[in-house]
Amino acid sequence: MIKDPAIHRQLMWLILPALALVLLAPLVLDTYTINILIRALFFAMLALTVDVLWGYTGYLTFGQSAFFGAGAYAAGLVFTHLGFGPGYFLLAAVLAVVAALMIGSITGWLSFYHGSTPLYASVISLVLPIVLTQVLFSGGTFTGSSSGLTGYEAPDLDLETWFRIVGAALVVLTAFTCIFLRSDGGRILSAIRDNETRCSYLGIDISRYKIYLLVATGIVASLAGFGYASFSGVVAPELAGFVFGTEVIIWVALGGRGTIMGPVLGAVLIDWSSAYLSGNLPYVWKLFLGIAFVLVIVLLPKGLLPAILKWFNRGEGKSTQPNTLKLVQADTTSMTGDDKFVAIELRGVAKSFGSLNVLSDITFSARAGELVSLIGPNGAGKTTLMRCISDGAERGGGTIHIQGQDIKLAPPHQCVQLGLGRKFQTATVFDSLTVAECLRIARTRIETPSFTTRSNELRLPSYALEVLHATELDKKLNVVASTLSHGEKQALELAMVLALEPRVVLLDEPTAGLSQHERSLIGRILVDLTSRFGLCLLLVEHDLDFVREISSRIVVLHQGRLVMEGTVREVVDSDLVKTIYSGSLGHA
Amino acid sequence: MNLIFDILTTAAILYIVAAGLLLVYGVMKIINFAHGAFLTIGAYASLVASQVGLPPVAGFLVALIAGALFGLVIERFVLRPLYSRPLDAILATWGLAIVIGQVITLVFGREVQFVPSPIHGTIALLGTEYSAYRLVLILIALIVGGALAILLTRTRVGLVTRAVILNEQLAQGLGIHAQFVRFLTFALGAGIASLAGALITPLSAVDPNMGVPWLINAFMLVMVSGVSMTSLLIATLVFGSAQVIISSYFSPILGGMAIAVLAAITLRIWPKGFSRD
Repeated sequence: MIKDPAIHRQLMWLILPALALVLLAPLVLDTYTINILIRALFFAMLALTVDVLWGYTGYLTFGQSAFFGAGAYAAGLVFTHLGFGPGYFLLAAVLAVVAALMIGSITGWLSFYHGSTPLYASVISLVLPIVLTQVLFSGGTFTGSSSGLTGYEAPDLDLETWFRIVGAALVVLTAFTCIFLRSDGGRILSAIRDNETRCSYLGIDISRYKIYLLVATGIVASLAGFGYASFSGVVAPELAGFVFGTEVIIWVALGGRGTIMGPVLGAVLIDWSSAYLSGNLPYVWKLFLGIAFVLVIVLLPKGLLPAILKWFNRGEGKSTQPNTLKLVQADTTSMTGDDKFVAIELRGVAKSFGSLNVLSDITFSARAGELVSLIGPNGAGKTTLMRCISDGAERGGGTIHIQGQDIKLAPPHQCVQLGLGRKFQTATVFDSLTVAECLRIARTRIETPSFTTRSNELRLPSYALEVLHATELDKKLNVVASTLSHGEKQALELAMVLALEPRVVLLDEPTAGLSQHERSLIGRILVDLTSRFGLCLLLVEHDLDFVREISSRIVVLHQGRLVMEGTVREVVDSDLVKTIYSGSLGHA
Repeated sequence: MNLIFDILTTAAILYIVAAGLLLVYGVMKIINFAHGAFLTIGAYASLVASQVGLPPVAGFLVALIAGALFGLVIERFVLRPLYSRPLDAILATWGLAIVIGQVITLVFGREVQFVPSPIHGTIALLGTEYSAYRLVLILIALIVGGALAILLTRTRVGLVTRAVILNEQLAQGLGIHAQFVRFLTFALGAGIASLAGALITPLSAVDPNMGVPWLINAFMLVMVSGVSMTSLLIATLVFGSAQVIISSYFSPILGGMAIAVLAAITLRIWPKGFSRD
């Protein structure tokens, strides 16, 4: 399953000693400590799920405790009201999973939808545990109300065995999580955290990914809670509460978000210390934790583990691509022989903000193989028009067809599936990923990445490869995107958009911030795309010389209306355009 | 009739409690999770004032000033570095709430304490006898809301603040010292929150964790209201009545979470909530 020998080796170096530790530790520790540690190990599993959601995907959640509590109560309720035995144990486990599935789906549906904000998702994650605790409180003797359930029959294992089982489970869980996060598919999480918009415009349905992730982590958290209840023999509503949920956030923040090991170790260490210290210095310990938390958030946002590692000069330990990464040309769908094929068609498109009409009655079409430039002074509505073409919910009226399909109210990721690509004015790439990883994410729509391994082949269509070659990015596949120069980022984004194998590409000021040399390079590439590969390109540009050189057709926008359309010569020499740009005809 | 008074007074209390949070959210675009802690600070400030022998109104003033001072310090040292990281600001303020809660516990102890009500007894109004203090709170809510509205719309300071709310970068470009505006706004928001804490103590009791349930409700109300004091008024009336009605006719537990759940659902369906931009 793990093809890459480097990862194989890294994991073995971590897993085997960890398992050995788990096996041998009970021999040297006293009963009290073992007891505390087992609880801490369950909490560490919970912390791991929070790190996956928050550290890796950028979803600040206070509500993972709700899943933990749900699993715990599944065990508590079944064992208290039905009895204990292998069958009931299984039943409770199944109930824990089903509850997590339902809670995760509902919460996901509430939190993740086109247009939801991170703040709103966090709000929902806060409301969830509150609702759950209130439900538990109102359950009367069935749920034990505020006292919870105790004294039910539970698996009868001795302490050392419990420790070994739970410890081994934690090690295995951590290993699987690391494998997943380092796989090609796992990088999508980081892409979502870095730049959701770019993900949408690469055809990735972010909402669906997040909901799946929430359900998956919810199930893990629920099973951890189930285990906890089976071990400790006590379930209380506080396990599902939001105070506990915020405590988990504190462990993850202190340990180091986005590192998996940090939160796991952090949870274990803090919970262990709390057990000892909060007995002796009750309020002071919590005060100390609170102060440490605030200091870490303000001064060391990455957490303590990365800071410690940096101090020992081990670097990020970030996995790099296998050095054997090869670029391979993908077989693209043959370009349509029909030159007259209408790639994009707008009819009566309009948009207004309140009483301000930004776009009125925009009607034009473009065919495969055309390079249409959209010009007009600032405020004419060009970028708004781009937005309307790529996001079905944006426009106020009119219809838009991409490749013959009506986009209706489709969100960006669905428009992309119709064959659209959009390049933004500011280079929109994934800052924390390498060039190769960015490109692979861009291929997601066409080649679903593996969720367990990393491939050492990157297939790209020939025109994307040409962009990489012309800008020498093909020699920088392992460079992290945030360190690239502005021009290189623009080229990377273009390559990413082309990796989608779009038939229509929208480009918003592709020459902004480029040098003269880079400008002519881009110009050549764009002309190539239309003439050799039959793409349809729609450009928004201010550089009229650039427009004049490469366009096959020009469309002029002024104050939200389409005022002129024609060949390069017709438009550039026209009096109308001169008036619009310079205000009067008197200037040279 | 009692029910109507319950609704009005509940809405008034929610309004006073949420007003400070709304101000901070509007200007700084961050949710101050230490809001509940400011409520608690105000409550304990008025407790100290009453124990020292000051009249209740002085206690309110003490609370206001204490909250504002804390707000100044917190804005300068904790929030300023976090302007670009709003989610982290939520976490940092939550951490602060824990710190403040623990300090209060260490200084005052965990027991529940009481502050005498400034106005005792009931008033006979429109056919029923109702708590006089609660009715006065309606008046206070209107005064606070009115004062804030006047401050924001009729003063130079308010104009500058609204500019920062609407477009901070543009305001800075026009020479407005946005950082100073944030600084003062946070102090004002904290002060109002502390005042609210002092005002609600006669109704219930004072303990170190009293702020938490209010935080959640205030937070949801602010999310639903957007950045408008009028929307907040409407939101407190609508959701406040929901809470009261559900508590009275169904169950207090369901009533307790009514605001949070209804606000969440409202936002899901109408992402802009009650604000009208």
